[in-house]
Amino acid sequence: MNLVILLLPILLPIIGGALIVPIRFKSDRARNLYSELIVILTSVSIWVCLLCLHGQPVTVYSFTSGFSITFAVDGLGSVFAGMISLMWPLVMFYAFSYMEEAKRKNSFFAFYVMTYGAAAGIAFSANMITMYVFYEMLTLVTIPLVTHYGDHASMYAGRKYAAYTIGGASLAFFAVVLTTMNSSGGTFTYGGCLSGNYSETVMRIAFVFGFFGFGAKAAVFPLHEWLPTASVAPTPVTALLHAVAVVNAGAFAVMRITWYVFGTGLLLGSREQIFCLLIASFSLVYGAVESVRERHFKRRLAYSTMSNLSYMLFGVMLMTTAGFYAGIAHMVFHGIIKMSLFLCAGAFMHKREKAYIYEVNGVGRVMPVTFICYTLGALSLTGIPMFCGFVSKWELMRAGAASGTVYGAVGVIALVISAFLCAVYTLTISVRAFFTAKEKDLYIGAARDDADMRMLVPIVVFTAVNVVLGVCPGLIMPLFEKIATGVLP
Amino acid sequence: MIAFMIFMPAAGAFLTLAAGKRSGRAADLIAACLCIAELLLSCALPVGSALRIEGILGFGLHFQTDGFRSVYAVVTALMWAGTSVFSIEYFRHEREHLLRYQFFMLVTLGATEGVMLSADLMTTFVFFEILSFTSFTWVIHEQTAEAIRAGYTYLFIAVIGGLVLLMGLLMLNQCAGTLRFDELKAAAQQAPDKKMLLAAGICILLGFGAKAGMFPVHIWLPKAHPVAPSPGSALLSGILTKVGIYGILMTSLTALAGNQTFGLVVLAAGAVTMVLGAVLALFSVNLKRTLACSSMSQIGFILIGVSMNLLLTAYGSEEAAVTALPGLMLHMVNHSLIKLVLFMIAGVVVMNLHELDLNAVRGYGRNKILLKISFALGALGISGVPLFNGYISKTLLHEGIVEAAKECAPYAGLLHVVEWVFLISGGITFAYMLKLFICIFIEKNADAQRQARYDRQPSCMNAASSAVIFVPALLMPLLGQPFAALRIGSLMTGSRELLHFRAFSAGNLKGGLISLSIGLILYLTAGRHLFLQNGSYVNLWPKKLDLEDAVMRPLLTGILPAVFGTILSVFGENRILIPLSKAVLFAASVFGRALETSIDGLIVLVHSTALRARRAKRGPASGEGEFRILREEISAASRPLTRTFSFALMMTCIGILLVLGTLVALMLLR
Repeated sequence: MNLVILLLPILLPIIGGALIVPIRFKSDRARNLYSELIVILTSVSIWVCLLCLHGQPVTVYSFTSGFSITFAVDGLGSVFAGMISLMWPLVMFYAFSYMEEAKRKNSFFAFYVMTYGAAAGIAFSANMITMYVFYEMLTLVTIPLVTHYGDHASMYAGRKYAAYTIGGASLAFFAVVLTTMNSSGGTFTYGGCLSGNYSETVMRIAFVFGFFGFGAKAAVFPLHEWLPTASVAPTPVTALLHAVAVVNAGAFAVMRITWYVFGTGLLLGSREQIFCLLIASFSLVYGAVESVRERHFKRRLAYSTMSNLSYMLFGVMLMTTAGFYAGIAHMVFHGIIKMSLFLCAGAFMHKREKAYIYEVNGVGRVMPVTFICYTLGALSLTGIPMFCGFVSKWELMRAGAASGTVYGAVGVIALVISAFLCAVYTLTISVRAFFTAKEKDLYIGAARDDADMRMLVPIVVFTAVNVVLGVCPGLIMPLFEKIATGVLP
Repeated sequence: MIAFMIFMPAAGAFLTLAAGKRSGRAADLIAACLCIAELLLSCALPVGSALRIEGILGFGLHFQTDGFRSVYAVVTALMWAGTSVFSIEYFRHEREHLLRYQFFMLVTLGATEGVMLSADLMTTFVFFEILSFTSFTWVIHEQTAEAIRAGYTYLFIAVIGGLVLLMGLLMLNQCAGTLRFDELKAAAQQAPDKKMLLAAGICILLGFGAKAGMFPVHIWLPKAHPVAPSPGSALLSGILTKVGIYGILMTSLTALAGNQTFGLVVLAAGAVTMVLGAVLALFSVNLKRTLACSSMSQIGFILIGVSMNLLLTAYGSEEAAVTALPGLMLHMVNHSLIKLVLFMIAGVVVMNLHELDLNAVRGYGRNKILLKISFALGALGISGVPLFNGYISKTLLHEGIVEAAKECAPYAGLLHVVEWVFLISGGITFAYMLKLFICIFIEKNADAQRQARYDRQPSCMNAASSAVIFVPALLMPLLGQPFAALRIGSLMTGSRELLHFRAFSAGNLKGGLISLSIGLILYLTAGRHLFLQNGSYVNLWPKKLDLEDAVMRPLLTGILPAVFGTILSVFGENRILIPLSKAVLFAASVFGRALETSIDGLIVLVHSTALRARRAKRGPASGEGEFRILREEISAASRPLTRTFSFALMMTCIGILLVLGTLVALMLLR
């Protein structure tokens, strides 16, 4: 019975999504209803799993002893699963509106629903092999989404995306094999699962491979190039996948290998740790810098995603519980914020059919709700108190300072610089939207024409969550703390 | 009650917004009524009450009232009440974006009260950030190219300030373990790492100083005030600068109490701010810019008070509580009130003439008695003329310096110099106020027709505006009386001894008179002859020494980095840092590109070998070509950007990281 319940959130969207194509829906309405239904059912089943099946591993198939496809619900996994389960149904509405005039909608929604299953699989996998399988699967099912428009730019983006993430995952494979060999099947255990006779040096090197391999999806420098290129995809894809699900899967996998496979005991204080820490610090500034340079709205946000993912990696690489705690918090909060920002950018691009930042001048009056939400998101991302971005940034900085090492301090300075750049790259858009000189205003005399309700509702909901969690982080932070300290396995 | 004071204006802001959609007049009235209600509330605020809202933001919000906080809560509300009544007339004909102004004005009121009543640094920080962003809308209100430029400067300085402040708080929390004012003093004294404490203090000083207009982070101030609407400038200069001072003062009284090094740092910053502001004000030929630079200078006076307080407590002297501390607190109050009046008078001028240049507004006030008296009262107050309010606070500050010179033996020489700098700055204050007063209210305009037009227009404002200008102006002589001023001072500091201070003793009068005579001489010599050429006021400040391009921006590039270890920015005219940053940029980009292209190169390699046959079949329009076009498009779009400030800035950021990385690598190797 447990097996069925646990497989439901993974198989339901995969099968249900795949069925969209053969069913050949006659009307958009019917297909939308069907896919929304699948997604909501999946979310419900995820919550059933979270509430009822905590800590009960279920083996689906065992190849040999210590080499199996196993699922379990644990603390970290439930954060990831809980986050995506709340986001997917909402963003589907947005996608219905955004994709209204697009072609090949059936295949788009088929893959869009299927990715949900792959992401849920990553969240619930209980050992390295299982996670790796779903990780590759997530890459494969998102490629058609990136190339959806079918023009040369998206085909190129698709190929680049595939090359980077599959190539990256092959690096990770090294780590997967080594850890599976040197433990009882690489089963995730808080604090590390390595056992038996292994060479510490080899394992540390394997960790670096794992870091870059899984980090490729989290757009760690120098494997970040795919992310901004992939922003040619439709906005629901960039928002949900390339700002939250896929990239967070990368960060999530790095958390897994650091805290649940290799263990901090092996790594803390080693050169490998310091190397990864510095890479994360560099890449969080690098992303912010590139973001300031960028003039394309979505690519700018994509670079910002790169920067913010490195925040999480930085937190995890500190290898203290405080850092881990801050990393988890930033994973969730950044997801919420970046989602709202991308949805706003998408609403602007969809309604105004413009894509560059200089085309934003004065649009605040035309699309007030969208851009007020954008501004709140931007303030949050910068790390202004009263918004959730501040909470996680403060925790990250605190963790960096408390680590008591030079590298922690370097990271804190990097965080501060990147936060300033973040203000530059996000708030300039708000300033352009609301405070433009008359002669530069592109929308003089334009009537108010905001995005439609199906777009605005998700935007407003995410913004509201952003503010509520910012004002009362106590609602959720204790949970993260329990997970990070291992109280809640 | 405290909660009501902080959150009522914010709630009222939404009410105003709703009302404003129907009728602009209603919004005006609601906003003004809310501010007046706030004033009444603040007067009724009981001293010694506290409020704790736990759980909010993770660390909770803590407020308390004591003498100083209560007085400042009243002053804040008074400022808002005055400007909001005045803005009814000021904005009568320029209603564009007015609703936005009112909305953010009310939110800022709440946030400012939040800062003024805060009982821990985190609460201060939260409200400080809120008001940074809400007051940004005042600066950019007019949405002209100039206003937007100033707005960006304000915004980015505010963000940098906020982040540096946050870093300071982080360090302070790290070494003291608390951020609550009542525990901080004891905790900081037990902290093992004094260097880190000092570093935290300097970060906090810079962070709050950015809002106070302290040198070297004052750059936004002279730019923002002239472009903001006058009620907004009055608030920016009268109260938002004090928000910064509040933070610095509270830190210096708790976490860094009696820290001598910190005292010297504040002294240096304060002295430079004081002199630079005064000199700039003297040179300026723009009415509001002069007032803005004057604000900067007065902030310098206050900072000197903070540093004297620090030095005196460092040497265990009892005198601090009787001279420096009340002096600086009184000067804060005085300066707020004076700038309220003066900026509103500037507002009257702008409202009628839409001009700020001294040559244009010259002679405007000749037959406007009420305006003339109010301005004169403000000018006398700020110049420190005996019997007016500035005199007592400046005398107390001066006395503080004298005491410090006596007590702190190692710095006696330095402090004597500071004393003279103080007196001379006071003199310059008198000189530029004389210049303004004589220009606007006594002389005739060079253009006779203009003058005739000015004379034909005897009424320049309505009754309500006259009242809100004249009534606060009457406070100047009232607060100039020792019985009133010293009572307020002792209420704020809690020191009874202050009541016995003899403000009009011969020694104190002498100090004041020296200062005034310096000012008079300066005005009669330099002021009349240097600045008044061929009958019109000229800006003698050399173009090359223009504040923005040659002094402040390179200063910002030169001093900030030294202070908090970050080369923050490279502005236009710099000859050294730009090549340097370009070299760093080059190295960084070669490094980055090499890593990137090595991967792209693999793909290209595969395409040119294994996949060549397929490509040929598909024809020339393959992804590579498209990709190149896309790349070119992107780089063409971003090309103009490579010459901007932010680009230089981020390149230096990369540079710093590279340097840091190298350092770390070196450490590892060793």
